[in-house]
Amino acid sequence: MVRFQMWLVTMFAGVKPIARLMHTAWGWPLAESLHFIGLSLLVGTVGLFDLRLLGLGQRIPIAAMHRLIPWGLAGFAINAVSGIAFLLAEPDQYVYNPSFHVKVLLIAAAGMNALTFYLTTYRKVTVNGAPATAPPAAKAMAAVSLSLWIGVIIAGRLLTFYRPFPCQPPDPGFLATCIPGFHANWK
Amino acid sequence: MFRWIESSALSVWTRESTSLIAYPAILSAHAIGMALAAGINAAIALRLLGAASEIPAAEMRRYAGVAWIGFAINAVSGTLLLIAYPTKALTNPVFYLKLSLIAVGLAVFVAATRRLEQWTSAAQTWVGIALLASWGGAIVAGRLLAYTYRRLMAG
Repeated sequence: MVRFQMWLVTMFAGVKPIARLMHTAWGWPLAESLHFIGLSLLVGTVGLFDLRLLGLGQRIPIAAMHRLIPWGLAGFAINAVSGIAFLLAEPDQYVYNPSFHVKVLLIAAAGMNALTFYLTTYRKVTVNGAPATAPPAAKAMAAVSLSLWIGVIIAGRLLTFYRPFPCQPPDPGFLATCIPGFHANWK
Repeated sequence: MFRWIESSALSVWTRESTSLIAYPAILSAHAIGMALAAGINAAIALRLLGAASEIPAAEMRRYAGVAWIGFAINAVSGTLLLIAYPTKALTNPVFYLKLSLIAVGLAVFVAATRRLEQWTSAAQTWVGIALLASWGGAIVAGRLLAYTYRRLMAG
């Protein structure tokens, strides 16, 4: 895994124009602002749909509420683009950051959870004449979705508190949470 | 005044404690509260601007309570952040811009969740635009606080 991390960092560091743009006076603050707007859009639509599945606002048909989801996907797209810009600009600050590892895992889990929802109960809860109350399985997935996205926000906010430093001996193990390559013994 | 706040036990703890439940938890709470407050405002705005028109617009007020919870989380966490670094915020004009945008956003939000049925569609469009501009602006201003402050502390 450490080899893969080092390969990733080398790859990302190769994309120079984005890094140059991000290191201008406005690059980083602008990308951060977009990242926060995108996350609000995502939580405000996907999170609202989750709350609807859990039973809040029963008079709104679930299918109608689902029409907001494309805006959540737009928020996710904004965050994917701004997030990749951070990654390309300071690859080692993310690839070796344990909080980033957790964040990526939580995003993947949220994606799997959404996929499971669409493959199992989506049709049942949005079909014409579907009952106002979602079945327990859909409620469970909504609760998981809300928890995971809140977890993603926390892991994102904690990134700066887990900044990786150059590795000290012994070697960093399976998954590096420090920046390898500085210590002669290891490299 | 700033020195007095900065030397208070609560300020020192928020700023200097190495515990994850101090500054990191407060920042996380502030981001979650933002997502709830600004996010639900954005959803209401999108509905007013014509998105998801199958949703009865007046029913969106069922979610106002959650937006208020988000706002309450941010009022508390924001106050703690202010107590941690009063000089940093209060000597920065952008901080006052952020507070003004939140005040406008809240006023429009309260208006948007009341008597929506009686409004013309043109009025609803303007309310939607005002919600997006004020909450989006508050987020940008908040983010810029980390880049525009002149003095971190008085002491």
